[in-house]
Amino acid sequence: MKLIDFSVTMFMFAFGFYIAAALLYAFSVTGKRWGKSDPADHISRWSRYGYWTAVAGVTSHLIYFITRWIAQGHIPVSNLFEFMSFLGLAIMVAFIIIYRIYRLPLIGAFALPVGIIIIAYAAVFPMESQPLIPALNSNWLKIHVTMAALGESFFAVGFATGLMYLLKAVDQSKPSKQTFWLEFTLVVVIMLIGFIAVTFTFRALGYEAIYTQINPKNNQIEEVVYQIPAIFKPQQGEVIKADPFFGTSFTGFEAPGIFKGMNAGRKLNTVVWSIISGLLLYGLIRLIIRERLGRSMSKITESLDPELVDEITYRAIAIGFPIFTLGGLIFAMIWAEVAWGRFWGWDPKEVWALVTWLFYAAYLHLRLSLGWQGLRSAWLAVIGFVIVVFTLIGVNLMIAGLHTYAGV
Amino acid sequence: MALIENTKCDCGHNNPVGTVLCESCGKPILEQDQQATSPLDMRYEGMSRRSQLADKTIIDQVWSFFSSVKIAIYMIIIILIASAIGTVLPQENQFLPGINYEKFYIDTYGWFGKLYYESGLSNTFNSWWFSLLLLMLGTSLVICSLDRVIPLHKALKKQRAKKNPQFILRQKIQTTLEEADLRQSPESYMNAMEEQLKKKRYQVIREKDALLAEKGRFSRWGPYINHIGLIIFLLAALLRNIPGWYEDHMIRIMENEIVSVPGTSYFIENEKFTLEFYDPATLPDALKQEGSERVTPKLYQTDAILYECTGDCYTTTPQLKELIRHPITVNDPLRYEGLKFFQIDFELGKLKSVDVKLAHEETGQVFGQFNLDFYEPGTEFSVGEYQVSVVQYFPDFEIEMNGDTPTLITKSRVPNNPAFTFKVTGPLSPKGDVVLYAPLNKPISDKINDTLGAQYSIAGTMQDVHFVNSTTLNYRVEKALPFFFVGAFISMIGLVMGFYWQHRRIWINEVDGKILLGAHTNKNGFGLRQDIVDTSSKVGVVIPMEQLKDGVKVK
Repeated sequence: MKLIDFSVTMFMFAFGFYIAAALLYAFSVTGKRWGKSDPADHISRWSRYGYWTAVAGVTSHLIYFITRWIAQGHIPVSNLFEFMSFLGLAIMVAFIIIYRIYRLPLIGAFALPVGIIIIAYAAVFPMESQPLIPALNSNWLKIHVTMAALGESFFAVGFATGLMYLLKAVDQSKPSKQTFWLEFTLVVVIMLIGFIAVTFTFRALGYEAIYTQINPKNNQIEEVVYQIPAIFKPQQGEVIKADPFFGTSFTGFEAPGIFKGMNAGRKLNTVVWSIISGLLLYGLIRLIIRERLGRSMSKITESLDPELVDEITYRAIAIGFPIFTLGGLIFAMIWAEVAWGRFWGWDPKEVWALVTWLFYAAYLHLRLSLGWQGLRSAWLAVIGFVIVVFTLIGVNLMIAGLHTYAGV
Repeated sequence: MALIENTKCDCGHNNPVGTVLCESCGKPILEQDQQATSPLDMRYEGMSRRSQLADKTIIDQVWSFFSSVKIAIYMIIIILIASAIGTVLPQENQFLPGINYEKFYIDTYGWFGKLYYESGLSNTFNSWWFSLLLLMLGTSLVICSLDRVIPLHKALKKQRAKKNPQFILRQKIQTTLEEADLRQSPESYMNAMEEQLKKKRYQVIREKDALLAEKGRFSRWGPYINHIGLIIFLLAALLRNIPGWYEDHMIRIMENEIVSVPGTSYFIENEKFTLEFYDPATLPDALKQEGSERVTPKLYQTDAILYECTGDCYTTTPQLKELIRHPITVNDPLRYEGLKFFQIDFELGKLKSVDVKLAHEETGQVFGQFNLDFYEPGTEFSVGEYQVSVVQYFPDFEIEMNGDTPTLITKSRVPNNPAFTFKVTGPLSPKGDVVLYAPLNKPISDKINDTLGAQYSIAGTMQDVHFVNSTTLNYRVEKALPFFFVGAFISMIGLVMGFYWQHRRIWINEVDGKILLGAHTNKNGFGLRQDIVDTSSKVGVVIPMEQLKDGVKVK
């Protein structure tokens, strides 16, 4: 077996371990009501299983990382698959650190799924190795990207515990603004899951459609490949080939006005699919549970001490903030200085790293100086991670700049 | 008008105006605050700050404005939103200079582009208002820090162990231990706790019936050290305005060309430009299987030589002294005494020069040949018995109709479509004939030459054309760089101090035979509660974790 294939296998193992660990943690908290055993005993035993399964996941993930590094000759953080996968690993590490401080099993049931979604999302992007382009050929790449990801992973844990706090503290007995936005947050997460599910379904089916489109940048006719069926095809796009979609020959509506760019139609199509699949999935869940998802989930968080969760959220962000400052800004500046001769150039990715930093700086001042704790603090932790995700993915998908990776 | 406020505490201490908690015993000063039962506001130890003085001159008001954390947060949020909006469309500085920005934004993004350009958002990060916002944030950093750090320092220096019962029982972490809980005298409990807390590396101040244990006070200075670092960083940005401290130019150099470095007596030569691609055969296996058909560049390299001019600097033949040679690659610039040259761009196979033949128009008899450079065309050429002089040179030639008269113009200085008009003097034409040479526009130039009635032809073939590779280097000077990094480094130290250590304090006072225990930390209350539970259980008094909060309220 080639080393690179072994590496991919280890990645799959890690993914499996993480899912198992999340389920074990969830069972340790929810299952205590069914069993015959003492609830405290049940929690401690099953959360211990969860913990060690998560450690096994991190170990496999590390083996994947090291073997891939050896096989391709450079650190595997240089395209979106590799980076998101590393971010997933970092989230798991951050979770283990926070868990070892506070020993709260429910964190596992929330933080692990965040990491799992990130890793599954990583696998949407082309997984093959690529040679390193000259700009990325620097030791600062290793240190900048890994430290930034580690800082952000603590923000991810803060997001998970922030969500836990909201589920515990928002009054679910009657609908309100808070219940609406909490439900909205959950629906967005489900849409992300929907997107991943749709991508993998059509990938398994081997679906492909090819359209031509005029590239507005140079007025050349170029091809756009769709891997999921077109609800929206490119503007003025002509079908070259389209696999039948559930037996129909429908080839998509034309993308509306503003979606002019080369891949704008395809990206719009992806977003529409995510929304539709997410809403369908959410609708299905609602049919089964017959109440707000937030209300249903709040039952898991009933026994939580809200003050403790509030503190954990804050602590995760407080641990992550200096790491992010160092990796996401200072090391980034050093690298930019070495590579391009300017440590700061207002490149979109740089600006969004700064936006992330300013946001968490505002969070810390609001909390420490103006006493924003509890609900408001938890909402900020949730919004903060949305900004992080936009900085990592949204900027690459929507705004081009120096950080555009291949394969997006 | 001065507000009259009673700031004398029951314990006899006189407090300055604006004090929230008595500097000596910690009792709340305000009447309504004394009645409340909620946890105390422990920010800055309840000290009076300059911004809270009752009398206000203009300077005081400015001070108050900038010392408000609320205002600082507003400024952070405004900068955050402005930055985010600044990334919606590309900024002007992301393009090479010389394009018509207004036209570009309107053509590419329509009405939104027009709005974006006209509102100045296309130049957000170089605008005066963005700089002003950063300057205001910097001012706020200085004033907020000064306004708080001095009173905080004073308060932490003169701490007492004996506190007002209200102060202790209105901490977030607090409990009351009755004699029955203690099963020992309050004094022996306090002695035992002192010993245990010291074991946990707490600093203990002991009075007769009171104890204060403290740990990690230095972490309180973290935020201020961080702010000092940020201030240095922002000041470094101002230093850039000193002449000569900041340079940023693009220099395009063809192979074997020597160009002058703007504003200096240095010259730089591009000896050779190399572009390499990954060779599929030598790639590691992991990369070979899928990526081999893809062409990925591996190296962009300019072999550069830096010279200093020692004389005749402003002539075409300056005297140069070689200083340093360096192969410049993407992550490895040429550095020389604060000057830096970075690899930015390149162009391969650019039209450089052509060897042309001067011949008789009809017989085709060749009189001789000469080299015509599209960048430095020269003025006179001797070709056998003939003299060829350049009348006009149009690097990017086009014919424009001026009414009915066609006129030759050039669209730019880049030789995309070069054209020359020559005057040829010699035996056949003593007075000189005018000939047009436009190699990329042969039909037109033939037609024009026919009307001119020239007796000569000037022509070269594709084999006679010379191409050259050129590189674009970014020349930079950033003398403030060390200040930026010193600022960032100090800021980092502050962050680590402030976030990875916590200031923990525990007050234990004996009041009427009972023990009042209160504790405060700005972060990680969980850890502090654990410390109390641990130490107390070691001296035989078990305090459940839950009892430390929501415990006994003040009556």
